[in-house]
Amino acid sequence: MNVASRLPDSSAAPLADRPVTSEKPAFLGFGLGLRHQHYDEILSGHPPIDWFEVISENYMLPGGQPLRTLDRIRERYPVVMHGVSMSIASTAPPNFDYLQALKDLAGRVEPKWVSDHLCWTGVHGKNLHDLLPIPYTQEALNHVVSRVQLVQDFLGRAIVLENVSTYVQFNNSEMTEWEFLSELSRRSGCWLLFDVNNVYVSAFNHGYDPLTFLNGIPADRVVQFHMAGHSHMGTHIVDTHDHPVCEDVWELYAAALRRFGRVSTMIERDDNIPPLDELLLEVARTREMAEKILPMGTPPG
Amino acid sequence: MSDFARQQAEFQRGILDGDDTVLAEILDSPREKRDVLFGVYRYAYGSRLVEAMRNDHELLHLYLGDEMFDEMGHAYVKARPSNHPNLRWFSQGLPEFLKSTAPYAEHPELSDLAALEKALNDAFDAAEGRVVELADMAGFAPEVWSSLRFKPHPSASRLDVATNAAAIWLALKNEETPPEAAALEQPLHLLIWRQDSTPMFRELSAEEAMMWDEAANGIPFGVLCEMLATYDDPDGAAGRGAGYLHGWITAGLLTDVSVGS
Repeated sequence: MNVASRLPDSSAAPLADRPVTSEKPAFLGFGLGLRHQHYDEILSGHPPIDWFEVISENYMLPGGQPLRTLDRIRERYPVVMHGVSMSIASTAPPNFDYLQALKDLAGRVEPKWVSDHLCWTGVHGKNLHDLLPIPYTQEALNHVVSRVQLVQDFLGRAIVLENVSTYVQFNNSEMTEWEFLSELSRRSGCWLLFDVNNVYVSAFNHGYDPLTFLNGIPADRVVQFHMAGHSHMGTHIVDTHDHPVCEDVWELYAAALRRFGRVSTMIERDDNIPPLDELLLEVARTREMAEKILPMGTPPG
Repeated sequence: MSDFARQQAEFQRGILDGDDTVLAEILDSPREKRDVLFGVYRYAYGSRLVEAMRNDHELLHLYLGDEMFDEMGHAYVKARPSNHPNLRWFSQGLPEFLKSTAPYAEHPELSDLAALEKALNDAFDAAEGRVVELADMAGFAPEVWSSLRFKPHPSASRLDVATNAAAIWLALKNEETPPEAAALEQPLHLLIWRQDSTPMFRELSAEEAMMWDEAANGIPFGVLCEMLATYDDPDGAAGRGAGYLHGWITAGLLTDVSVGS
């Protein structure tokens, strides 16, 4: 589809800062990533989950059972859409077919928000299906700000972007990841999804204090937390999302609660999916810790 | 090309082609060398795509076993990098790859098995469509039946296989030992579709396959029956045609019937 001519040129010099003035999404409570292994149990009971996050691409399909199930879940629970292929930081031209499919799904699901990652997934027509890292340079920042503006214009809503786990750092970076995220959010108006596990993983891999990252993120821009597990390789950590949340990440979650206040929180398990009950225990812990750490009446972050 | 674009292109080449140029712009971490850290991306690329192929082709995986499936999967990943943002579509080219690439092409049941799994996957999440009911047919006056045209349900597709891949599929699905792979004397005609939310397939006779294919091309019922008359007993052609049509409707295979000109 040729809609690029109706949208700002994303390849030119950075556009003027144009923060979207959309209202901050409301606090949803304590949720879980929706996985097909749990469809029947969720629909046949009413597990104590406040909301679900769905992987957008899993439902960007013509029809059939996945979309029908999502419709039924949506009737009972608030849903947010979380994508893995927006490739917002790619220097390749924007993929408007992808964005249209995402917009169509959002029209059907009416999610509380649409999120993806600060990363790229490929260039030159290829897709590596990974959340690839970027250098934290002014050039990259200008590019991503203009790309976020373009996507927000296309979708007609502010998007939410997540910090990814990274395994390498580039020698030409001019700022820290948290400075990059802060500037990106301030200039483009996008909200932030603070993945507590990813902060822990990246901090270990690159040798900095995760609290420095946490304290460098503007508290008023964070609308969601992710909690997940990982695989420790000794010299580095790989963000596999196939284990329970570890104690160090729970500790960092406590610090995140103190800094950001009440933020919609969810358990994200992508592989080695356990029975729903096991994940419900983790969801319950996110809730219990928030209630313990944040006094009654604490406003959303 | 901007510095950022050049760096992404080099990063991608580092993953896809093993080119180490990008390592010059990557830092060692306090605990690990850059090549090991970059290797996390290299490893994840192939393993993630092969895992997606395993999910799409569970029975082909069962048939080949872990080692052979992974070897085949990595060969496919190398030959056909993904160009679609959704992993759902990555394995679409697998039947054609297996048919045209040694050593897999020497075992044509692999391509047939992959094609059957692909067709079932495609039926699973195909577009929704109204399903024609038997009661709908009662609304057509006898004199218009010869001009009735049929539209297949969006989930329906046809596949001809030259091997006993369907028998292998069935045995694997039932957790039984699959039969020895064998070429068939005549191709097997399969019809694949989704009934409610369940993907199904069934075998068609050569005659029914011909009628389905022609019906899907918009040929009206009267002409279809004339075609059937060339296949077998001409006097029974209309009856056989009505029988096939009844079967399609009760199986939910049609999305529309209309009176065409």
